Amino acid sequence: MTDTSVEIDSLWKKFRKGERQDSLRDLIPATIKRIVNGASPASELRVDDFWALRDVSFSVQRGAALGIIGHNGAGKSTLLKILTRLLRPTSGTYVTRGRIGALIEVTAGFHQDLTGRENVFLNGAIIGMRKAEIARRFDAIVEFSGIGDFIDTPVKRYSSGMNARLGFAIAAHLDPEILIVDEVLSVGDYTFQGKCVKWMQDTLKNGTTVIFVSHNMDAVLSLCDTAVLLNHGEVRAHGKTSDVIAEYYRSGGGYFPGRRSDVRARTVAFASTHDDVEMVQPGERITYTHTFVADRDCRLSPGIQIRRDRRVVMQSSYGRMRGEPISVAAGETVTVEWAASMNFPGGAYQVSHYIEDADGGYHDYEDGARIVIVAADPRVVGDYHVDLELQVHAPLRCLTPL
Amino acid sequence: MFAAIREASAEVWDHRDLLEQLTLRDIKLRYKQAAMGFMWAVFMPCLIVLSGLIIRYAMARLSGATLVRSDIANIAVKGVGWAFFVGALGFATASLVGNASLVTKIYFPREVLPLSSVAAQSFDTAIGLITLIVILPFLGVTGRLTMIWVPFLLVLLVLFTTGVSLFLSCANLFYRDVKYIVQIVLMFGIFFTPVFFEPSMLGARGAHLAMLNPLTGILEGLRLSVVNGHNLAQPLTTVIHGAVTPVWEPWELLYSAVWAVGGMIGATAMFRKLQPLFAEFI
Repeated sequence: MTDTSVEIDSLWKKFRKGERQDSLRDLIPATIKRIVNGASPASELRVDDFWALRDVSFSVQRGAALGIIGHNGAGKSTLLKILTRLLRPTSGTYVTRGRIGALIEVTAGFHQDLTGRENVFLNGAIIGMRKAEIARRFDAIVEFSGIGDFIDTPVKRYSSGMNARLGFAIAAHLDPEILIVDEVLSVGDYTFQGKCVKWMQDTLKNGTTVIFVSHNMDAVLSLCDTAVLLNHGEVRAHGKTSDVIAEYYRSGGGYFPGRRSDVRARTVAFASTHDDVEMVQPGERITYTHTFVADRDCRLSPGIQIRRDRRVVMQSSYGRMRGEPISVAAGETVTVEWAASMNFPGGAYQVSHYIEDADGGYHDYEDGARIVIVAADPRVVGDYHVDLELQVHAPLRCLTPL
Repeated sequence: MFAAIREASAEVWDHRDLLEQLTLRDIKLRYKQAAMGFMWAVFMPCLIVLSGLIIRYAMARLSGATLVRSDIANIAVKGVGWAFFVGALGFATASLVGNASLVTKIYFPREVLPLSSVAAQSFDTAIGLITLIVILPFLGVTGRLTMIWVPFLLVLLVLFTTGVSLFLSCANLFYRDVKYIVQIVLMFGIFFTPVFFEPSMLGARGAHLAMLNPLTGILEGLRLSVVNGHNLAQPLTTVIHGAVTPVWEPWELLYSAVWAVGGMIGATAMFRKLQPLFAEFI
């Protein structure tokens, strides 16, 4: 008896970039030519191999949730396709213990001309449910999807949201031991999304192993204890989710345009009151100190930026705060201190710093130098952190239980 | 090879509900879209029989003979079998590529896709067969003991068709023009298979050549056991222009069975071997 439900050992996957002959019309003349001329097949087809996965190894404990993150083309989808048996690895082995359910493209098995009811049975069978199982869970599936009376309407008359909701509802009732989720929690409206997140949490509580692939760092953070960062097919980081997310943002590359300037300014230190990755409560205050130096007398404006994924939630600079830049002497070390309240909803935020000169040139921009993780407030949902309070003014009898 | 076949049959058995659902889907869609409804199933065999009758009428006129009722029965019996073969291959060849969105996104034993095409066609053919059973007495065919060969022949027909379907669906995934080649071959295939004619009409040598077609044994076997009341374990000859010409030779049955079973084994093993590449190459 072992307690890991997924074990991946040194997976490699090679893809071919070159054109492949996919018709006999091309293949037959090419083959005849090859036989007649005695040319090798390699000279006929330029084949560029590239590795989508290189030596990927990790394991997932039973009942744990693992997040897989990485930039586009990092190999996330390839890895999932191998785990769901769609692709065969070029080398390496993997073991999965238990029934696998995948929340990937949940409407792939739908046929537009069939009704919702017919599609529930068809799609359920496609993802691996027995007929009796589907029949038993049919009412629960319809209930979860919120499709209601439209269940006997052809799926082609559904809105895209209804389509996705029904697909998700079917997949959610597969009851797998290992659940593989790829970017599907964003279907439907706000209410349905809330339902999905609640369902995911319940699934986790029931001891299902979850592998969660997403570009939504907040979702990864709230669902997964550990995460793997893939970069060009390699495991770049593996460990605590907040650390891995910090690494993800660090490997993200530049964001600011680098403009030319005569001045050379550079950051000596950028520190905060907390550790490398900060875990704070919504509304908590954090202080950042930014120390920099310039190679000549000039006027500079150090700045700070807080982003959530690609969206800037706050950006400011010395110049904006004071109306004019700060005068710096050559070689002189200057330190500015920023203090900000993290009035943000739960999620991961990247803090970047830069130095702007009087000519509008940017110097020493460091993207995601710090990562702040704001803890989610389970009492509120929404895009902003407002210090919400609830008071009740009512006759006393309403408060007493009946 | 046999491990692959065992694995394939175990997995397909596990997914028998999926096979049922996909077959139902194919049947529903065919009948939902066709205004003719169940006529769809008898339309194709009717066209085949009608074409056969025109050809046989012309042949009979030239040779100064007359067209008899059993000639119609002969063509009808073989026509239903041929319609099954053509229909199943037509749908099965495109079954993997036509369901590309499934093949690239969800894992299940891919054999169920061509198998469901054959199963859906079997449903159509079953309607054709029932129609045939109703019509045959009017063509002078009555119940005969030799009809016990029919279930065996039908099994051979389904096995052979399934094997070819597995092979072609797989080939069409890797080489997209296979579909067009199949269309052309099936269009002219009726002239290379004894549906409108009997092998004996080609003379002794021609008959033996025609018997090399694996479908000859099955279709001729159906006709002889149903319409002629011939026991297929016995050879049958006829005299045409003074020469003894074979009508039926018992080895034909064995020959077709070898093709059906061998084809099924070979195609399943090949399908299994290539299946992991489907999602990548489709």
